[in-house]
Amino acid sequence: MSIEQSSQSNSLVDVLETVLDKGVVIAGDIRVGIADIELLSIKIRLIVASVDKAKEIGMDWWETDPYLNSKASQDKLREENESMQKRLEELENRLG
Amino acid sequence: MSDLIYVYGIINENQTPPVFKGIDGERDAHTISLGKVDAVVCDVSQQEFGEEALQQKVEQADWLHEKAFHHHEALMKLYEYCTVIPMKFGTIYKSFENLERTIAKHCDQLIESLEVLVDKEEWNFKIYCNNEKLREGIAIHNPTVESKKEEIAGLSPGRQYLEKRKLSQLVNQELEKEKESFSTLVHDSLQAFSVSSEVKKNWNKDVTGRNEEMSWNSVYLIQKNQVESYLDHIKELQKKWEDSGWMLEATGPWPAYHFVALPKSEGTR
Repeated sequence: MSIEQSSQSNSLVDVLETVLDKGVVIAGDIRVGIADIELLSIKIRLIVASVDKAKEIGMDWWETDPYLNSKASQDKLREENESMQKRLEELENRLG
Repeated sequence: MSDLIYVYGIINENQTPPVFKGIDGERDAHTISLGKVDAVVCDVSQQEFGEEALQQKVEQADWLHEKAFHHHEALMKLYEYCTVIPMKFGTIYKSFENLERTIAKHCDQLIESLEVLVDKEEWNFKIYCNNEKLREGIAIHNPTVESKKEEIAGLSPGRQYLEKRKLSQLVNQELEKEKESFSTLVHDSLQAFSVSSEVKKNWNKDVTGRNEEMSWNSVYLIQKNQVESYLDHIKELQKKWEDSGWMLEATGPWPAYHFVALPKSEGTR
Protein backbone atom coordinates (compact mmCIF):
# COMPACT_ATOMS: atom_id res chain seq x y z
CA MET A 1 0.00 0.00 0.00
CA SER A 2 1.17 3.50 -0.58
CA ILE A 3 0.65 6.27 1.88
CA GLU A 4 1.30 9.50 0.12
CA GLN A 5 1.74 13.14 0.86
CA SER A 6 -1.51 14.77 0.01
CA SER A 7 0.00 17.32 -2.33
CA GLN A 8 1.51 14.80 -4.77
CA SER A 9 0.49 14.95 -8.36
CA ASN A 10 -1.90 12.02 -8.43
CA SER A 11 -3.99 13.68 -5.79
CA LEU A 12 -4.25 16.86 -7.85
CA VAL A 13 -7.97 16.38 -8.18
CA ASP A 14 -8.34 15.70 -4.46
CA VAL A 15 -6.57 18.91 -3.52
CA LEU A 16 -8.60 20.89 -6.04
CA GLU A 17 -11.85 19.35 -4.95
CA THR A 18 -11.32 19.75 -1.22
CA VAL A 19 -9.99 23.28 -1.49
CA LEU A 20 -12.37 24.60 -4.13
CA ASP A 21 -15.45 22.64 -3.30
CA LYS A 22 -15.22 21.32 0.25
CA GLY A 23 -14.00 23.27 3.23
CA VAL A 24 -16.23 25.27 5.42
CA VAL A 25 -18.57 27.63 3.73
CA ILE A 26 -19.18 30.81 5.60
CA ALA A 27 -20.23 33.27 2.97
CA GLY A 28 -17.68 35.97 2.34
CA ASP A 29 -18.33 39.27 0.62
CA ILE A 30 -16.89 38.17 -2.70
CA ARG A 31 -18.63 35.60 -4.86
CA VAL A 32 -17.08 33.90 -7.84
CA GLY A 33 -18.04 30.89 -9.91
CA ILE A 34 -15.46 28.17 -10.32
CA ALA A 35 -15.38 25.74 -13.23
CA ASP A 36 -16.30 22.08 -12.91
CA ILE A 37 -13.59 20.43 -10.80
CA GLU A 38 -13.17 17.40 -13.05
CA LEU A 39 -12.73 19.47 -16.20
CA LEU A 40 -10.39 21.78 -14.35
CA SER A 41 -8.28 18.83 -13.17
CA ILE A 42 -8.00 17.47 -16.68
CA LYS A 43 -7.01 20.88 -18.00
CA ILE A 44 -4.34 21.36 -15.34
CA ARG A 45 -3.00 17.85 -15.93
CA LEU A 46 -2.63 18.68 -19.61
CA ILE A 47 -0.88 21.98 -18.88
CA VAL A 48 1.56 20.27 -16.50
CA ALA A 49 2.10 17.39 -18.92
CA SER A 50 2.80 19.71 -21.83
CA VAL A 51 5.48 21.57 -19.87
CA ASP A 52 7.13 18.23 -19.00
CA LYS A 53 6.78 17.07 -22.60
CA ALA A 54 8.33 20.27 -23.89
CA LYS A 55 11.36 19.64 -21.68
CA GLU A 56 11.55 16.06 -22.84
CA ILE A 57 11.68 16.96 -26.52
CA GLY A 58 14.16 19.77 -25.91
CA MET A 59 11.80 22.70 -26.26
CA ASP A 60 13.14 24.24 -23.09
CA TRP A 61 15.77 26.42 -24.76
CA TRP A 62 14.39 29.52 -23.05
CA GLU A 63 15.59 28.14 -19.75
CA THR A 64 19.18 28.19 -20.90
CA ASP A 65 19.02 31.35 -23.00
CA PRO A 66 21.02 34.01 -21.12
CA TYR A 67 18.84 36.81 -22.47
CA LEU A 68 15.72 35.18 -21.12
CA ASN A 69 16.93 33.52 -18.00
CA SER A 70 19.27 34.76 -15.30
CA LYS A 71 20.06 31.18 -14.24
CA ALA A 72 21.57 30.59 -17.66
CA SER A 73 23.84 33.60 -17.35
CA GLN A 74 24.93 32.33 -13.94
CA ASP A 75 25.81 29.01 -15.52
CA LYS A 76 27.87 30.81 -18.12
CA LEU A 77 29.62 32.81 -15.40
CA ARG A 78 30.43 29.62 -13.53
CA GLU A 79 31.87 28.08 -16.68
CA GLU A 80 34.07 31.12 -17.20
CA ASN A 81 35.20 31.03 -13.60
CA GLU A 82 36.08 27.37 -13.85
CA SER A 83 38.15 27.79 -17.01
CA MET A 84 39.96 30.77 -15.44
CA GLN A 85 40.65 28.68 -12.35
CA LYS A 86 42.13 25.93 -14.51
CA ARG A 87 44.38 28.30 -16.42
CA LEU A 88 45.54 29.82 -13.14
CA GLU A 89 46.41 26.41 -11.76
CA GLU A 90 48.33 25.54 -14.91
CA LEU A 91 50.33 28.78 -14.67
CA GLU A 92 51.05 28.20 -10.99
CA ASN A 93 52.22 24.66 -11.72
CA ARG A 94 54.53 25.90 -14.44
CA LEU A 95 56.05 28.47 -12.04
CA GLY A 96 56.25 25.99 -9.17
CA MET B 1 -9.25 51.33 -2.54
CA SER B 2 -9.01 49.58 0.80
CA ASP B 3 -7.66 46.05 1.09
CA LEU B 4 -9.72 42.90 1.42
CA ILE B 5 -9.31 40.14 3.99
CA TYR B 6 -8.66 36.62 2.71
CA VAL B 7 -9.51 33.93 5.31
CA TYR B 8 -7.71 30.56 5.44
CA GLY B 9 -9.25 29.10 8.54
CA ILE B 10 -10.48 29.46 12.10
CA ILE B 11 -8.42 28.39 15.10
CA ASN B 12 -8.77 28.62 18.88
CA GLU B 13 -7.80 31.93 20.46
CA ASN B 14 -4.34 32.68 21.88
CA GLN B 15 -2.30 30.61 19.47
CA THR B 16 0.76 31.69 17.53
CA PRO B 17 0.77 29.72 14.28
CA PRO B 18 3.85 29.86 12.04
CA VAL B 19 4.13 32.89 9.78
CA PHE B 20 3.85 32.21 6.05
CA LYS B 21 3.56 34.29 2.88
CA GLY B 22 0.00 35.18 2.01
CA ILE B 23 -1.86 34.30 -1.15
CA ASP B 24 -0.66 37.40 -3.00
CA GLY B 25 2.94 36.18 -2.51
CA GLU B 26 3.93 39.47 -0.87
CA ARG B 27 2.33 40.06 2.49
CA ASP B 28 2.55 37.68 5.46
CA ALA B 29 -0.49 35.94 6.83
CA HIS B 30 -1.50 36.77 10.40
CA THR B 31 -4.21 36.08 12.94
CA ILE B 32 -7.13 38.32 13.83
CA SER B 33 -8.87 37.91 17.16
CA LEU B 34 -12.64 37.51 16.83
CA GLY B 35 -13.76 37.04 20.39
CA LYS B 36 -13.42 33.39 21.33
CA VAL B 37 -11.79 32.28 18.09
CA ASP B 38 -9.09 33.64 15.79
CA ALA B 39 -9.12 33.82 12.03
CA VAL B 40 -5.92 33.19 10.07
CA VAL B 41 -5.97 35.74 7.27
CA CYS B 42 -3.93 37.75 4.86
CA ASP B 43 -4.61 41.15 3.35
CA VAL B 44 -5.15 41.19 -0.40
CA SER B 45 -5.72 43.99 -2.89
CA GLN B 46 -9.00 44.84 -4.58
CA GLN B 47 -7.13 44.83 -7.90
CA GLU B 48 -6.43 41.11 -7.66
CA PHE B 49 -9.13 39.78 -5.35
CA GLY B 50 -12.09 42.06 -5.92
CA GLU B 51 -15.11 40.19 -7.27
CA GLU B 52 -14.67 41.05 -10.93
CA ALA B 53 -10.90 40.61 -10.97
CA LEU B 54 -11.08 37.36 -9.05
CA GLN B 55 -13.69 35.93 -11.41
CA GLN B 56 -11.31 36.57 -14.30
CA LYS B 57 -8.40 35.04 -12.40
CA VAL B 58 -10.20 31.83 -11.41
CA GLU B 59 -10.99 31.24 -15.05
CA GLN B 60 -7.25 30.91 -15.72
CA ALA B 61 -6.43 27.29 -14.89
CA ASP B 62 -2.76 27.89 -14.10
CA TRP B 63 -3.51 30.78 -11.74
CA LEU B 64 -6.18 28.77 -9.96
CA HIS B 65 -3.88 25.75 -9.77
CA GLU B 66 -1.17 27.76 -8.04
CA LYS B 67 -3.48 29.60 -5.66
CA ALA B 68 -5.57 26.57 -4.72
CA PHE B 69 -2.38 24.70 -3.82
CA HIS B 70 -1.15 27.69 -1.84
CA HIS B 71 -4.42 27.64 0.12
CA HIS B 72 -4.02 23.92 0.75
CA GLU B 73 -0.38 24.18 1.79
CA ALA B 74 -1.15 27.07 4.12
CA LEU B 75 -3.82 24.97 5.79
CA MET B 76 -1.43 22.01 6.04
CA LYS B 77 1.05 24.27 7.86
CA LEU B 78 -1.63 25.51 10.24
CA TYR B 79 -2.92 22.01 10.72
CA GLU B 80 0.54 20.77 11.77
CA TYR B 81 0.59 23.45 14.43
CA CYS B 82 -2.97 23.42 15.79
CA THR B 83 -6.55 22.36 15.25
CA VAL B 84 -7.98 24.31 12.35
CA ILE B 85 -11.32 24.70 10.62
CA PRO B 86 -10.38 25.00 6.95
CA MET B 87 -12.34 27.54 4.94
CA LYS B 88 -13.23 27.09 1.33
CA PHE B 89 -10.88 28.76 -1.18
CA GLY B 90 -11.84 32.37 -1.86
CA THR B 91 -13.51 33.28 1.43
CA ILE B 92 -12.92 37.02 1.35
CA TYR B 93 -14.30 39.93 3.36
CA LYS B 94 -14.38 43.60 2.54
CA SER B 95 -13.82 44.73 6.11
CA PHE B 96 -12.93 43.55 9.59
CA GLU B 97 -16.48 44.43 10.69
CA ASN B 98 -18.04 42.14 8.07
CA LEU B 99 -15.72 39.28 9.02
CA GLU B 100 -16.40 39.82 12.73
CA ARG B 101 -20.17 39.96 12.24
CA THR B 102 -20.26 36.76 10.16
CA ILE B 103 -18.02 34.78 12.49
CA ALA B 104 -19.98 35.98 15.54
CA LYS B 105 -23.11 34.44 13.98
CA HIS B 106 -21.44 31.01 13.82
CA CYS B 107 -19.16 31.32 16.82
CA ASP B 108 -20.73 28.62 19.00
CA GLN B 109 -20.73 26.09 16.17
CA LEU B 110 -17.13 26.92 15.33
CA ILE B 111 -16.00 26.41 18.91
CA GLU B 112 -17.91 23.15 19.06
CA SER B 113 -16.34 21.97 15.79
CA LEU B 114 -12.87 22.84 17.04
CA GLU B 115 -13.52 20.70 20.10
CA VAL B 116 -14.72 17.80 17.96
CA LEU B 117 -11.63 17.98 15.74
CA VAL B 118 -9.05 17.93 18.56
CA ASP B 119 -6.73 14.90 18.26
CA LYS B 120 -8.39 13.67 15.09
CA GLU B 121 -7.10 13.29 11.56
CA GLU B 122 -8.85 13.21 8.21
CA TRP B 123 -7.71 10.38 5.93
CA ASN B 124 -8.70 9.75 2.36
CA PHE B 125 -9.03 6.19 1.13
CA LYS B 126 -9.31 4.90 -2.40
CA ILE B 127 -9.57 1.56 -4.09
CA TYR B 128 -8.28 1.19 -7.62
CA CYS B 129 -8.77 -1.96 -9.62
CA ASN B 130 -7.23 -3.76 -12.55
CA ASN B 131 -10.32 -4.74 -14.55
CA GLU B 132 -8.49 -7.33 -16.67
CA LYS B 133 -7.21 -9.19 -13.65
CA LEU B 134 -10.56 -9.08 -11.91
CA ARG B 135 -12.31 -10.34 -15.04
CA GLU B 136 -9.92 -13.29 -15.22
CA GLY B 137 -10.70 -14.11 -11.61
CA ILE B 138 -14.43 -13.93 -12.21
CA ALA B 139 -14.23 -16.12 -15.31
CA ILE B 140 -12.68 -18.82 -13.12
CA HIS B 141 -14.21 -18.45 -9.67
CA ASN B 142 -17.58 -16.78 -9.96
CA PRO B 143 -20.43 -19.32 -9.35
CA THR B 144 -22.93 -17.51 -11.59
CA VAL B 145 -20.46 -17.49 -14.44
CA GLU B 146 -19.48 -21.10 -13.80
CA SER B 147 -23.03 -22.42 -13.95
CA LYS B 148 -23.65 -20.43 -17.12
CA LYS B 149 -20.59 -22.06 -18.69
CA GLU B 150 -21.87 -25.51 -17.83
CA GLU B 151 -25.22 -24.63 -19.32
CA ILE B 152 -23.56 -23.48 -22.56
CA ALA B 153 -21.50 -26.67 -22.86
CA GLY B 154 -24.69 -28.68 -23.35
CA LEU B 155 -25.99 -26.54 -26.22
CA SER B 156 -25.74 -26.90 -30.00
CA PRO B 157 -22.75 -25.14 -31.68
CA GLY B 158 -24.93 -22.34 -33.11
CA ARG B 159 -26.56 -21.59 -29.78
CA GLN B 160 -23.16 -21.84 -28.06
CA TYR B 161 -21.83 -19.02 -30.21
CA LEU B 162 -24.66 -16.70 -29.22
CA GLU B 163 -24.57 -17.66 -25.58
CA LYS B 164 -20.81 -17.16 -25.35
CA ARG B 165 -21.24 -13.58 -26.44
CA LYS B 166 -23.78 -13.14 -23.68
CA LEU B 167 -21.32 -14.72 -21.28
CA SER B 168 -18.89 -11.82 -21.56
CA GLN B 169 -21.74 -9.46 -20.69
CA LEU B 170 -22.45 -11.59 -17.67
CA VAL B 171 -18.80 -11.39 -16.61
CA ASN B 172 -18.96 -7.60 -16.84
CA GLN B 173 -22.11 -7.52 -14.73
CA GLU B 174 -20.53 -9.74 -12.12
CA LEU B 175 -17.43 -7.54 -12.20
CA GLU B 176 -19.49 -4.49 -11.27
CA LYS B 177 -21.21 -6.43 -8.51
CA GLU B 178 -17.90 -7.59 -7.14
CA LYS B 179 -16.44 -4.07 -7.13
CA GLU B 180 -19.44 -2.87 -5.21
CA SER B 181 -19.41 -5.65 -2.64
CA PHE B 182 -15.63 -5.66 -2.13
CA SER B 183 -15.52 -1.89 -1.67
CA THR B 184 -18.46 -1.82 0.70
CA LEU B 185 -16.93 -4.60 2.76
CA VAL B 186 -13.62 -2.75 3.07
CA HIS B 187 -15.41 0.50 3.84
CA ASP B 188 -17.40 -1.16 6.63
CA SER B 189 -14.23 -2.54 8.16
CA LEU B 190 -12.55 0.90 8.02
CA GLN B 191 -15.51 2.59 9.60
CA ALA B 192 -14.72 0.66 12.75
CA PHE B 193 -11.60 2.83 13.16
CA SER B 194 -13.28 6.13 12.47
CA VAL B 195 -15.46 8.66 14.25
CA SER B 196 -17.23 9.64 11.05
CA SER B 197 -16.92 8.98 7.36
CA GLU B 198 -18.13 10.18 4.00
CA VAL B 199 -18.39 8.26 0.74
CA LYS B 200 -17.22 10.30 -2.23
CA LYS B 201 -17.48 10.15 -5.97
CA ASN B 202 -15.14 7.91 -7.98
CA TRP B 203 -13.01 9.96 -10.37
CA ASN B 204 -12.68 8.60 -13.86
CA LYS B 205 -9.34 7.86 -15.55
CA ASP B 206 -9.21 11.13 -17.47
CA VAL B 207 -9.34 12.97 -14.19
CA THR B 208 -6.83 10.85 -12.25
CA GLY B 209 -4.52 10.19 -15.19
CA ARG B 210 -4.06 6.62 -13.97
CA ASN B 211 -4.40 3.34 -15.80
CA GLU B 212 -6.40 1.62 -13.10
CA GLU B 213 -10.02 2.40 -12.53
CA MET B 214 -11.10 3.95 -9.25
CA SER B 215 -13.75 1.83 -7.63
CA TRP B 216 -14.02 3.50 -4.23
CA ASN B 217 -13.34 6.94 -2.74
CA SER B 218 -14.07 7.91 0.83
CA VAL B 219 -12.83 9.97 3.78
CA TYR B 220 -12.63 9.14 7.46
CA LEU B 221 -12.21 11.20 10.58
CA ILE B 222 -9.98 9.16 12.86
CA GLN B 223 -8.76 9.54 16.44
CA LYS B 224 -4.99 10.06 16.34
CA ASN B 225 -4.38 6.98 18.47
CA GLN B 226 -6.36 4.87 15.97
CA VAL B 227 -4.51 5.99 12.85
CA GLU B 228 -1.79 3.37 13.10
CA SER B 229 -4.28 0.50 13.39
CA TYR B 230 -6.28 1.96 10.52
CA LEU B 231 -3.19 2.05 8.29
CA ASP B 232 -2.08 -1.42 9.39
CA HIS B 233 -5.50 -2.77 8.54
CA ILE B 234 -5.28 -1.29 5.04
CA LYS B 235 -1.79 -2.76 4.61
CA GLU B 236 -3.04 -6.19 5.58
CA LEU B 237 -5.97 -6.01 3.15
CA GLN B 238 -3.64 -4.83 0.42
CA LYS B 239 -1.33 -7.77 0.93
CA LYS B 240 -4.24 -10.16 0.86
CA TRP B 241 -5.93 -8.77 -2.26
CA GLU B 242 -3.26 -7.24 -4.49
CA ASP B 243 -2.82 -10.40 -6.56
CA SER B 244 -6.52 -10.40 -7.36
CA GLY B 245 -6.25 -6.92 -8.92
CA TRP B 246 -7.10 -4.53 -6.08
CA MET B 247 -5.00 -1.53 -5.06
CA LEU B 248 -5.74 0.18 -1.78
CA GLU B 249 -4.43 3.66 -1.11
CA ALA B 250 -4.63 5.90 1.91
CA THR B 251 -3.58 9.57 1.81
CA GLY B 252 -3.33 11.94 4.70
CA PRO B 253 -3.56 13.38 7.16
CA TRP B 254 -5.57 16.19 5.58
CA PRO B 255 -6.99 19.26 7.29
CA ALA B 256 -10.56 18.33 8.23
CA TYR B 257 -12.15 19.63 5.04
CA HIS B 258 -15.02 17.16 5.14
CA PHE B 259 -15.98 17.10 8.77
CA VAL B 260 -17.04 20.55 9.78
CA ALA B 261 -20.68 20.94 8.97
CA LEU B 262 -22.25 24.27 9.68
CA PRO B 263 -26.00 24.30 9.28
CA LYS B 264 -27.00 26.15 6.16
CA SER B 265 -28.48 29.35 7.50
CA GLU B 266 -29.14 32.64 5.76
CA GLY B 267 -25.94 34.11 4.48
CA THR B 268 -24.26 30.77 3.89
CA ARG B 269 -24.13 28.95 0.64
